[in-house]
Amino acid sequence: MIKTLPKLFFFLCALLLVGGMDATAQDLTDVHTIIDRANLAAYYAGDDGRALTRLTIVDAQGRERIRQFTILRRDVEDGGDQSYAVLFSRPADVRGTVFLVQKHVGEDDDRWLYLPSLDLVKRIAAGDKRTSFVGSDFYYEDVSGRAPQEDEHALIETTDTQYVIKNTPLDPGSVEFASWTVWVDKATFLPMKMEYVDAAGDVYRRIESLAVETVAGYPTVTQMKVSDLRTGGHTISEMRSIAYDLGIPEQVFTERTLRNPQREWFSTRP
Amino acid sequence: MSIAHSITTLSTTRPRLVFVCVLLLTLGLGALIPLIQIDTDPENMLPDDQPDRVFHRSVKSDFTLYDFIVVGVVNEAHPDGVFNQETLAEAHRLTRAIEQIEGVVTHEVLSLATVDDVRSDGPGVVRFAWMMADAPTTDAEVQAIRDATERQPMLRGTLVSEDHRALAIYVPIVDKSESHRIASEIRAVMAEAAGDEQYHITGLPVAEETFGVEMFLQMGVAAPLAGLVVFFMLWVFFRSFALITAPMIVAPVTVVATMGLLIGLGFPVHIMSSMIPIFLMPIAVVDSVHILSEFADRYRLTGDRAEALHEVMHELFTPMLYTSLTSAVGFASLAFAPIPPVRVFGLFVAFGILLAFVLTVVFIPAYISRMSEAQLAKVQAAVPVKQDSDGPHDATRLGRVLKWLGSGSIQYNKMVLLFTVGVVAFSVWGVMQITINDNPVRWFSPSHEIRVADRVLNTHFGGTYDAYLVLDQTTESGAPNVSDLAAAATAIVEQTGDAALTDAWVAIQADAEDDLDALIDNVYDELDAALTDEEAVVWEDVLAGLEGASGGGGAFQDPAMLAYVEQLQAALLATDHVGKSNALPDIIKTVHRALREGDDAYFTVPNSSGGVAQTLLSYQSSHRPNDLWHFVTPDYRRANIWVQLKSGDNQDMAAVTEQVDAFLAENPPPPGLTVNWGGLTYINVVWQQAMVNGMLNALLSSFLIVFVMMVVLFRSFWFGLLAMLPLSVTILFIYGLIGWTGKDYDMPIAVLSSLTLGLSIDFAIHFLQRTRALQAETGDWATTVRRVFAEPARAITRNALVIAIGFTPLLFSPLVPYNTVGIFLATIMSASCLATLVLLTSTLHVMRRLVFGSPASADGS
Repeated sequence: MIKTLPKLFFFLCALLLVGGMDATAQDLTDVHTIIDRANLAAYYAGDDGRALTRLTIVDAQGRERIRQFTILRRDVEDGGDQSYAVLFSRPADVRGTVFLVQKHVGEDDDRWLYLPSLDLVKRIAAGDKRTSFVGSDFYYEDVSGRAPQEDEHALIETTDTQYVIKNTPLDPGSVEFASWTVWVDKATFLPMKMEYVDAAGDVYRRIESLAVETVAGYPTVTQMKVSDLRTGGHTISEMRSIAYDLGIPEQVFTERTLRNPQREWFSTRP
Repeated sequence: MSIAHSITTLSTTRPRLVFVCVLLLTLGLGALIPLIQIDTDPENMLPDDQPDRVFHRSVKSDFTLYDFIVVGVVNEAHPDGVFNQETLAEAHRLTRAIEQIEGVVTHEVLSLATVDDVRSDGPGVVRFAWMMADAPTTDAEVQAIRDATERQPMLRGTLVSEDHRALAIYVPIVDKSESHRIASEIRAVMAEAAGDEQYHITGLPVAEETFGVEMFLQMGVAAPLAGLVVFFMLWVFFRSFALITAPMIVAPVTVVATMGLLIGLGFPVHIMSSMIPIFLMPIAVVDSVHILSEFADRYRLTGDRAEALHEVMHELFTPMLYTSLTSAVGFASLAFAPIPPVRVFGLFVAFGILLAFVLTVVFIPAYISRMSEAQLAKVQAAVPVKQDSDGPHDATRLGRVLKWLGSGSIQYNKMVLLFTVGVVAFSVWGVMQITINDNPVRWFSPSHEIRVADRVLNTHFGGTYDAYLVLDQTTESGAPNVSDLAAAATAIVEQTGDAALTDAWVAIQADAEDDLDALIDNVYDELDAALTDEEAVVWEDVLAGLEGASGGGGAFQDPAMLAYVEQLQAALLATDHVGKSNALPDIIKTVHRALREGDDAYFTVPNSSGGVAQTLLSYQSSHRPNDLWHFVTPDYRRANIWVQLKSGDNQDMAAVTEQVDAFLAENPPPPGLTVNWGGLTYINVVWQQAMVNGMLNALLSSFLIVFVMMVVLFRSFWFGLLAMLPLSVTILFIYGLIGWTGKDYDMPIAVLSSLTLGLSIDFAIHFLQRTRALQAETGDWATTVRRVFAEPARAITRNALVIAIGFTPLLFSPLVPYNTVGIFLATIMSASCLATLVLLTSTLHVMRRLVFGSPASADGS
């Protein structure tokens, strides 16, 4: 974390400098700057936030399953630690299930699952975060973000609108991909597309940002699609009722409150 | 016979025209052979729209099931079996290599190196991790993997043998027809291994495909080899290469033209049709041998080629036409079998038989007419009339035996008939012992690597043959009436007396515009917006009403339904051939236990559907969430029990279905559930039953048709009946023998009944036709018998010997159906030859007054 502070400082300065310029201004050339800004834009908008999310999981045969949940986020510091809480409402038989993450930069996250029908709070063992997020094509890591420090980055192309960055894992044994490439929007710094390449050099997984809206001044991806090119299935995530800077207290994100999620914060009523 | 005369005249005067036509026919139809499409899929034994097949397909697609190759890694040497660093590393390496093979469904490969391990990881902690992400490098890691597999009932007996001696890798493949290539590539990877491990490959798709590949090798090796031996046998009898070349042209031309036509018409060459050459060769040779035999005998006496030819053709045209027609009818009757490849087989063999007849009567005279005088002189010299010679290989030994047979049949006619009665009794008893059974793996000889793999892996594992027992929820509440549902929901909302809630309800109803799904979506949004528990409960109640009707959750999250699935699994395990079954309750119980600190007391299905759903939600947080959908459909309305059988024998699969039926009768499924079978092993049972019934009907109907034809041919009821006698005894004897030897009644054997009918009737027609003609000529029964047992009997016996010995190369084939055909041909030939010569003579002797009447009126024509 200490290591990230100078970066953060650099970033903040860069933000001040670049913020005033218009989009056609000079392109960034430092890949770390771009990656860090993309990380912030995608995962750290505001101090906290809330969204009503609907996942539509579609298999290769077109069969759909719907999962709906409210997701809350609270940043400890921008680009650093943050917490997520996910409360499921749909389908009915998983209603009340909660997934909680305390994300730590530079070390393992803490993750919990609360299963109301079994009245069980389970801590999820540290380790692989590239497992399915509740049966969808998203991974846990896609929900809370992959730390930029885990990859080596290379700016491979700068187009009129996007930066194309190739990311190679520093610990190849910990992930299923050989590399991934991200297309970052020059104006919003939101990742518009990510493609994961396997050892054979084939793209097998793709995440696309299908819709972007500006909410409370923050450009926000409101519709995403992740496709598993091997199974032929895909998942669409749609976010509505998005709100930022709500002042969500830290206690909402603790193991103790898992069993009794506070409606006041999870309610999407504007 | 004027037709015979004009054909013979045409052939002998315009031989070049005949040769050119035969050449054009061969080249024209032969040119189509490269268009060959091969179909080795026994599934295609059933029509595409056959209900069991349609169901099987729906099961495969609904549960995203693939056909798979089973790879086994066995270590009998190491004290810890496969649980040592080297073997696990080998299995890991093999898995990674298999994943790279084109045509393998990479993300569905099942191996210790690809599966996930959901387990308790200390108090309050659940862990989702790969079972064996990397090859273990310490004994502690090996130990950990072994212990983890012990806690995974889904893996034990499937991926790890209970005795720890074997590991399995299930390799799903995109297309069954590529299994041989993929298996070969896997073998190449295996060949690089150096350790104590033995490797095996099995699975029905590999067996079926490999059979296809080897089948074509056999077509290229066994058929020509058989041709060679037939050629040698002909030489023994006729001692003239020039003369016997004629049938050796007719037979291949028949085969090439028939196969060319079949392929040219767009029919794929199935396992059945690949046998066409083997069936046509003997039939095509038989007629030629009759002609050659008669010709050689007559030419030897007269030395006049044209006269001998005309006489022979006059003598033989009608019996040959009738034998060809009856054989063709016998095979064409297969067109009524309910199995498409058998229909194609029957019709094209029938075509081939008629073509062989045309070729024989046109080509053989043309060919003989073009033989040089020197060649003919050789024929004359080669088979001299030396009744008293003791030369080792000449035909007179055969002549003596036949003479003895003729007189013996009359002298001991009572004994012959008594013996026949004994044989019939013996055969009937044998037929009653017949077990109807088939298994594509058994089409290979016991030492074949596929048979060995099958044996080894099925001793270690729960079974490598798969069937699917599928439970369907059939209750449908009918089209939900949105306004009724909405009215009920309105009542719930209004009961609260909360104006804000009522307003919201009115608004979201208006927004949904009578679309139930949209209405449900809207209610969920209201639920997620709820600020108080009271409000939330109202929306939850509303949803319960709306979703309940639209069938929100299927039956298979209901603990009661899952309990029934468990009962079914227990019943399956209690049957004789099921080694293991995997189903939804196994996943639920394993994950439930992992969520409950690994406490075995919780190796249970949670007692609420919410508990089940949340257990499965946890399972789906693993690396392989989609594995769930092999056992249940995403709507939870259809569940699949994957049944592992230790045997792919149809009778064993049939026994399992019967035992399950008995269980279902005693423990009927809960209302609204149906239970049905799918899977390749089951499909094989279905088509086999269709086959057995189809063959029996085909045999019976062709038997009747042939009988009518015989009565017409001989214009005599009694002769018609007599003609049926040898083939009836032969067919009965052959199938009795099968019963007695315990050989299973399988696909090749079923088809051979037609061949028996076709070949046996040939001998009977020739024999009776000549006997009757001679009796009319001589008017003396003893003289008739003596003369019948000279030329005609010699032709029949030569034929029998040529075919019986000619097809012995089939016995050396590594494919069991080819061995079967080889043995059968020899047995059919010997039995029907003896039945014709001895039994018919004895019977005629007893019935001579009845069938011949007074000597003057003997000839019906």
